[in-house]
Amino acid sequence: MDIPVIAERISQKVQSKGKNPDQAAIEAKLRRLIEEFGVQPAEAERTVMNELAKEFQLTGVVSMPSDLRGLGEVLPGEWVTIEGKVVSLTTPRTPAIGQTGIIADSTGAMQFVIWAKAGAPLLQLGEWYKLESAVVDEFRNVPNVKVHSGTTVSSVTHDQPLLPMITPVQALHPGVGSVRVKMVQEWESSHERMLQTGVVGDESGTLKFTIWREEGEGKEKLLPDIVYNIYYAQVDEYNDRLSLNLNSATIIPDEGDIEVGTGGATFSGALVHISQGSGLVKRCPVEGCNRVLSRQNYCPIHEMQPEFRYDLRIKGVLDDGEKTRNVLMQREVTEQVTGMTLEAAQEMAENNPLGAEEVFYHLCNTVMGRYLICRGREMDQVMLVNQCEPQHLDQTTLAALINRAGGEEA
Amino acid sequence: MTPEKSAPFPRREQRFEREPARRVFAQELRETRYQFKEGTEEKSPTFVLLPTGERCNRVFLVGTMTEKQRQGEQNAFYRARVVDPTGTTFIMAGNYQQEAMLQLAKIETPAFVAIIGKPSIYETPDGTKLISVKAESVTVVDKETRDLWVLDAAAATLNRIDAYGTTPDSKTAQEQYTLDPAQFRSMVYNALTQMNI
Repeated sequence: MDIPVIAERISQKVQSKGKNPDQAAIEAKLRRLIEEFGVQPAEAERTVMNELAKEFQLTGVVSMPSDLRGLGEVLPGEWVTIEGKVVSLTTPRTPAIGQTGIIADSTGAMQFVIWAKAGAPLLQLGEWYKLESAVVDEFRNVPNVKVHSGTTVSSVTHDQPLLPMITPVQALHPGVGSVRVKMVQEWESSHERMLQTGVVGDESGTLKFTIWREEGEGKEKLLPDIVYNIYYAQVDEYNDRLSLNLNSATIIPDEGDIEVGTGGATFSGALVHISQGSGLVKRCPVEGCNRVLSRQNYCPIHEMQPEFRYDLRIKGVLDDGEKTRNVLMQREVTEQVTGMTLEAAQEMAENNPLGAEEVFYHLCNTVMGRYLICRGREMDQVMLVNQCEPQHLDQTTLAALINRAGGEEA
Repeated sequence: MTPEKSAPFPRREQRFEREPARRVFAQELRETRYQFKEGTEEKSPTFVLLPTGERCNRVFLVGTMTEKQRQGEQNAFYRARVVDPTGTTFIMAGNYQQEAMLQLAKIETPAFVAIIGKPSIYETPDGTKLISVKAESVTVVDKETRDLWVLDAAAATLNRIDAYGTTPDSKTAQEQYTLDPAQFRSMVYNALTQMNI
């Protein structure tokens, strides 16, 4: 859009109210906003108009209908006008922020942030609002909509109920998402502020979830094997992995069942390395710690822990001849792959002069050099194996290879 | 003199890429003559270049251990012969491969074994080049693992032959070896047709 044209339009509007604006100044302001600050022309027009309206104390000129945008389509960096329902309120991280929460419309949902300085009224949970000239920003790859001092917040009424859009786990992206999932695994929480952490999943895959402890009304834990509709959870990204923060979410148990997909990746190869720290390990018993103790039962955080618990695991490397993959097998998978239970391992360690080392050697002898198919999720460059089975011979593979080796001879 | 320091701020942890263990039949390994170092530092990895045109710093072999021998008095080490459908590979485990040496000591021949190790080339006083594998791990396995390995090594060898002449490593192989990779195709064919599974 042409800057002089906009300037002319603004100037005419002001003149129509019987005032005499400086068109060159208007043009300069527009140019500054559009060219220097990258503000979209429509937004720049609104800003300058607003400024003049204040200067000349005009009414009824600013309410230019700016395009209403859907929350599902706006991008970081855009100045937008949106209309949505406040579906969740969260505790702001700093006093500089007046209020945070999640606002949703029929196209999507997004976190909103109201700066304390914005002087905006606090929003009510469950009410609809129109935010004019808000800014879409990004924090840790998660988009949010910011209400600043230039944003106009007004209450609107909406009769239509708002239905959250359920997204398959595999299709989630950072921001806000609603899912229908089953709780499949609970992990020991690694932090005292953490109420619960674990894994939820649907047909398309699984991902980690966390519920943090909150002051006042307590959040409830999820129960294993129960299906939940989780509306408006925060989807965070860390190290290329997504996780769900359920504190903002509305959680409704569902009667149905879900066949949870294993998701993740499959890697087949030979086990070519078993690292130290595999086999029978001792874990720190302090709640939420669970670290592996070094020799003399020493935990790096909680020091001496004579009341440790035993665990069995394999940290190793799977290799297909082209690529290698670090794998971590927890107790269940380790027991299944080696055919040795934790109890048997403990017994072996107790009855042997080499102690836990004997278990390590036994492990090496049973699984090193074996062809395995591992399925699991990648985390910090390690595959957390949740399923592992030996490879078996296949006549068709042999036949195909014979054809390949013999068939291309000239 | 000062080597260029790239990536001054490595991410949390340096991404260490472990070299994959190549699947190579004894016959091809025996023809391997060319050894090189990547980089100039002391700890730079050493590779052998397979005649089918791929660098190799670690191998994975499964075969029948037919013989093992303890040698030396003070610095004892073990030598073993591992046979696959195409020939014999020499395995070594010395003081620097303690674990593998202990594993080797316990194995009674003949047995199917899986070996993970590093190939290295020696030159005898008369100029003959010999290759042997310094074992990192030696474990007894079953026949199915051996058979799976033959298929795996066959597929890997055919993949290398198919890519011959198209990769930088295989272009070097064309300069370093006078062998025709086609001979390894018939080696694979013979290995596969000998199998009874």
